[in-house]
Amino acid sequence: MAAPCWHVGHHIRRNAQSLRVNIEHLAGNRAFGWTPAVHQQAKESVILPRKKAWSKEAVLETLASTLNRDSTAYPYQFQDDPYLSPRTATEFKLYSLAQDSGRSAARYFVNNHPKFFTKDFAEPHIPCLMPETVSLLLEEVSEEALKERITLRKVTAAVDMYDQLLQTGTAVSMETTHELLDLICLYCDRNPVQEGEAGAEEEKEGRRMTSRRGADVPRLSWTENNNAERIFYLLPERDTRCYSAVIRGMVKHGAYAKAFSVYSDMLNNRTPGDVHIFNALISAAPEVRDGYSERWDLISELLNHMKQQEIHPNLLTFNSVLKSLRQCGSLARSYSPQTLNEMKALGIAPSLASYDHILAVFYKSVSSGPSNSDVLQNLMTELEGQSFTCVDPDDVLFFSSAMKVCLDNKDLELGYRVQSLVEVGENWRLLGDSVQLSIYYGRFFNLLCMMEDVDVVLRWYKQMVPSLYYPNAQGMKHLLQALDTDGRLDLLPDIWTDMKTLGLYNRADLLEQLLGLMAGEEHSPELQEAFAVCALDVKSVFEEKAGLEWSASSLSHVTTLLLRASKAQQAWDMLKLFKAHNRIPSEALLNSFLSVCQRDGASERAVELVQLSAAFCLTSTSGLASRALAEFDLNQEQRLVLAGLEAAAGPPSD
Amino acid sequence: MIVTPSLSELNMAASLTSTANVRLLSSFAWSSLLSGPIGSRSLHVTAVCCKNRAARIRVGKGEKPLTYEQAYHPHHIAHHKGWLSQHTSNLKGEDGAAERTIEDVFIRRFMFGTFHGCLADEIVIKRRGNLLIVCALMLQKLPPQKFYFLTGYSEVLLSHFYKCPVKLEIQTLQDKHVYKYI
Repeated sequence: MAAPCWHVGHHIRRNAQSLRVNIEHLAGNRAFGWTPAVHQQAKESVILPRKKAWSKEAVLETLASTLNRDSTAYPYQFQDDPYLSPRTATEFKLYSLAQDSGRSAARYFVNNHPKFFTKDFAEPHIPCLMPETVSLLLEEVSEEALKERITLRKVTAAVDMYDQLLQTGTAVSMETTHELLDLICLYCDRNPVQEGEAGAEEEKEGRRMTSRRGADVPRLSWTENNNAERIFYLLPERDTRCYSAVIRGMVKHGAYAKAFSVYSDMLNNRTPGDVHIFNALISAAPEVRDGYSERWDLISELLNHMKQQEIHPNLLTFNSVLKSLRQCGSLARSYSPQTLNEMKALGIAPSLASYDHILAVFYKSVSSGPSNSDVLQNLMTELEGQSFTCVDPDDVLFFSSAMKVCLDNKDLELGYRVQSLVEVGENWRLLGDSVQLSIYYGRFFNLLCMMEDVDVVLRWYKQMVPSLYYPNAQGMKHLLQALDTDGRLDLLPDIWTDMKTLGLYNRADLLEQLLGLMAGEEHSPELQEAFAVCALDVKSVFEEKAGLEWSASSLSHVTTLLLRASKAQQAWDMLKLFKAHNRIPSEALLNSFLSVCQRDGASERAVELVQLSAAFCLTSTSGLASRALAEFDLNQEQRLVLAGLEAAAGPPSD
Repeated sequence: MIVTPSLSELNMAASLTSTANVRLLSSFAWSSLLSGPIGSRSLHVTAVCCKNRAARIRVGKGEKPLTYEQAYHPHHIAHHKGWLSQHTSNLKGEDGAAERTIEDVFIRRFMFGTFHGCLADEIVIKRRGNLLIVCALMLQKLPPQKFYFLTGYSEVLLSHFYKCPVKLEIQTLQDKHVYKYI
């Protein structure tokens, strides 16, 4: 009897699979999530390859694709230690400069005492770890000595050697002359700044003053009749490279008119030109002509000359055209798209610098209309997902100008698109140096604080600060405003600790805003406690820092916060501070203080309070006095005092 | 004049019965052998002090602070301590152990002098391929920009000296970490 049951059970178990499937088919008209997919898979035919070959690095590539750049990590050049990590932008710069100066100090020792560093352990030989020759070896008057001076970049010594060679009558080869001219024009006839030279000090002064105008202002000026021109005119025959060196040197160091005169000289001698010459001249065109149409005429004339001499323009040519167009006013809007089309027709891919110039042309002033974000939108659609390398020094300015446009148009989505372009591949390298970086992230953070929900803002804040972006006072103010708008004032104590870490506590206006936000409304008791702790902290900061001045509002805010957290004694000390700093407390403050005194039953203090307000000659004195008389139980002496004050102050003005 | 015992003397000595006398006579014979010519030198041996003194700080009155590194003696290496210098030249078939040791000694003295007064503990030197990594524990005596100056300087100088990339990894402490007082 058991056997047939066993058979049945076995049969069911064997065929249970098909039974279950059948049941599911019947019930399967009710939609389960995954049954349609199962049906779909059965319909497609899957072709399995016989063998798949993987490259040797396939595993490594797959692992690498799972990683993104960790934006919360500190920059790798710093040591991984909290004491040694920079917390503000100034510290960032200070530490990286300190490290670099240590390196150059070591290189100075290595190069000046090479006999200790010549033993070569390395197999194969590593040339960059050997000492470099810094001092001159050859002293006699010869072309080799001249070449040596050129490679060691000693400009004045090279010029002297050249003159000596001419005096002795030895012919100098054309190659060496070219290199000499290049050297002189690059360094504008001055020696390049070496470590620890006195000339470096004045250089830095000049640089600091002109740095605000950017790299367009030449730092060194081309003097009259300097060695470059002299040698140039002494040459028996001048060819393209000589002209190129002189013209480019003149443009680089600010002698624009002279550059054009040398150029016309070159045209008269029918010497063929060079693409670099034309690049330099095009970028110098706005300086020698006033008036937009004249500038454009000059540029088009130069381009025509290029076409006549059959010189192919390169990327830098078009970038300098666009850069000069920026200074051509309204003409730019018509001609810059044409320039881009020319570039595409010639097959030259525009770089980020070209796009930067386009943005500057189309978004010239802040007051341009809101519909103008079309240009940037189209641009972002085109650039989506591309990786860039730096091909032009102005590439680094693109991202900050793009973010500026987004900020001015208050376009959050566009801002996110720009940020996602930055996160593609290696594009973060194109954000520029620390100044550009802080500008870009400052603008991005500003946009977020204005337009976004506070949770998203805080998420970005945790990600970006302080590894990528060191907020300055302005950024902090935006953050505080965002917190205020969304009512997340419970985060204020944490923000205060962040502000201390970032070194932002010496701005009185920032502290005032913080205190104002904290003292604005009543909150829950724990929050009031936390606020009171913060307020005491701020008070100690005001006391320690020499340059900070208490203002009436910050004093009253601190007092209010202390009162709300029932720290009566400290609030009383605050009132004494009012007197010390010549600030007047407000009536509301005194009234709330009186209420707190009543709650605590401190009648002595109430009397002192009224006396204090009398000392300040406040109009509310009599009101306070009457309140005190009514609400407190006082002894005879105190009543007399209060009555006297009430009478003396007179009726309160309505 | 050398006194050499003749065979007859020895036989005479051997014929005596008491063992003590034999020992006495044989020791006399040996000492005459050893003494050599008159006025010569002999081997003087003092009592041996069977004590190990390597890398040990002797017990004091209880006021001497010791770090973990100093508290454990060399025989505790691989039991309670790790190695301060890590390289592969002590494996079978590898050479260059002596050169690595000399380099390590130089690097330790260099770091001690460059970061004078700032070192909290011994320096750990690790070699990975061509790379030389110097791990140091420092006290927070200098402001961070001075630390970075010295770090950049040491890295470049040591790289040029040893013709291999040298990296410094620094961690800072407030004070030396005391393990026990001896």
